[in-house]
Amino acid sequence: MRDLLASLAGWGVNVAIALTALRTNLMRSILTTLGVMIGVFSVILAVAVGNGAQVSVSQQIATLGSNMAIVVPQPDSGSGPPRPNDRGRLTERDGQAILREVSGVRAVAPQIRSSVQIVTPGRSATTQATGATPEYGAVSNITASEGRFLTQSDVGSAARVAVIGETVANKLFPETSPVGETIRINRVPFTVIGLLESKGSNLGNDNDDQIVVPITTLRQRLLTTATQGPDDVTLIFVGFEDEDALLAGQAEIKRLLRDRYRVAKGKISPFTVRTTTEIAETTGEVTQIFQAVLVAIASISLLVGGIGIMNIMLVSVTERTREIGLRMALGAKRSDIRNQFLVEAAVLCVIGGAIGLSLAILAASIFERVAEFPAPIGFDTAIMAVAFSAIIGLVFGGYPAIRASRLSPIEALRSE
Amino acid sequence: MTTPLLETHDLVKDYAIGGEIVHAVNNVSLSISRGEFVAIMGASGSGKSTFMNMIGCLDVPTSGTLSLDGIDTKSLDSDALAEIRNRKIGFVFQQFNLLARTSALDNVAVPLIYAGIGYAERRQRAQDKLEAMGLANRLQNTPAKLSGGQQQRVAIARALVTDPLMLLADEPTGALDTQTSLDIMGIFQKLNDDGITVVLVTHEPDIAEYAARRIVFRDGQVIEDAAVKSRRRASAV
Repeated sequence: MRDLLASLAGWGVNVAIALTALRTNLMRSILTTLGVMIGVFSVILAVAVGNGAQVSVSQQIATLGSNMAIVVPQPDSGSGPPRPNDRGRLTERDGQAILREVSGVRAVAPQIRSSVQIVTPGRSATTQATGATPEYGAVSNITASEGRFLTQSDVGSAARVAVIGETVANKLFPETSPVGETIRINRVPFTVIGLLESKGSNLGNDNDDQIVVPITTLRQRLLTTATQGPDDVTLIFVGFEDEDALLAGQAEIKRLLRDRYRVAKGKISPFTVRTTTEIAETTGEVTQIFQAVLVAIASISLLVGGIGIMNIMLVSVTERTREIGLRMALGAKRSDIRNQFLVEAAVLCVIGGAIGLSLAILAASIFERVAEFPAPIGFDTAIMAVAFSAIIGLVFGGYPAIRASRLSPIEALRSE
Repeated sequence: MTTPLLETHDLVKDYAIGGEIVHAVNNVSLSISRGEFVAIMGASGSGKSTFMNMIGCLDVPTSGTLSLDGIDTKSLDSDALAEIRNRKIGFVFQQFNLLARTSALDNVAVPLIYAGIGYAERRQRAQDKLEAMGLANRLQNTPAKLSGGQQQRVAIARALVTDPLMLLADEPTGALDTQTSLDIMGIFQKLNDDGITVVLVTHEPDIAEYAARRIVFRDGQVIEDAAVKSRRRASAV
């Protein structure tokens, strides 16, 4: 117990000696700390942004809707850009066939997507229009927060009605409610019947920057592309009853489409069927790699900071060789000298780490507000920062400290 | 008082310089008793400094034995030597060797840190020694704000703060003017009168005359070891 107290007291003295030495060379200490500070700052921020990306991606997956398959007329050749010539044609009849023949399907939502120009007196906006059926709302969890969503009769009568997203509403009707107002979409007048419930944004992708109109209206009044057939669609969402049905259904849809379009065995199908589960998995992997790369890059700056510490500590040991000799003559053991310099490095690192962590927390909160991107810094991240800086101090301060302690007292004392 | 404070037997220190072995200290056998005031003299390169470094446990002999206060230093590791320097020896240097930008009080307290003494006691003991050196009103001064004589008195206070058996002074007056040198020698004489052993290394014959015994080195060997005939007295400050 007494030994423990004595050793604690000894460390206290080392801290006092270290602080005095650091204060004596204040400018140098600040610059050295800066290196560690920037290192810790960037590592913590990288971790936070990575965490944020993961949160954001899972949010995005959630906004897609769960237990859903997405069918697009693109060759199923893994990754890589689709080649236009290979595009298949997906039709509403394919959607009906899927609903009829694939088991466990709750609803199908065929859609046509097109970029449109919207004009109101004095204002305009460019956004994406989704031509859809009422099932679109059910399959991908979209509802109207004000007014109403599409109905079957809107689709049947090809009504000129639109449900608009919040971003679009704010652009066109910054002060009033848009419901009931008239807008011109590609010069065609439409009535706004509802406001889409906000889904926020993730990874810079604004989910509220879109409008939904009946698929029939879009096809008849807004499409100009001649290549489109009478019931061609851009994609089909297929909602399943549960996850098991989805897993089995994915293969069934693929088979069904191959049959319907008579794709020969061994040939690549012109359709891709992806499930929300797959999308979640791939994007999860991608964001993990993204985070790993970020942290790796940030770690380099921490490494540079650590080397800065080592450099300054070596200079400090050389500069103070005479002092080391004197301290040895006055009774300092090798361990006392080693600890003195270790503590000095550790103090630099811990101060740098603390400032770096504080700045990272500040930057993350600014980032969250300005970029509307979550960058959570958890307690574990904070602990990691402190541990990181302490380790940096011990690793990079260790060599100079041991070198100082190995000096011969008489040679150190004689040095100028 | 049967064992001498310091005893060396065939003490040798060799240095290899450019492939040649130089005997800096060559078979020196002598003993210093408690309460003595010894001046070690010699030209530069005579081996007097090397000898002093060894009896101060700053340097280890190549061969021969050195015992201090009955302890054979040969078997001791660096930690044990550090402890001997801390507890039994007080060093005074030509260039004072005070820590810059550190108050007189904190400078004097440094050896007590390594002796494991607590903060309050360190300050009290450092203050007592500084007051004994006539520096009661200079406790908070940094070395830059002290004269050479005052700095050397701070250094002597530091050497005394662990109540050592022996003061080892290496050219303590080398950087001081004549009057201040006299003051410092007065302090050493008074401390010696109070019972502490003083070993002084100098190359100035008149400074050596304040000691009671003079040992002269040449080429690593003792060529003269005798009592000082007409010893000078300096009045302490």
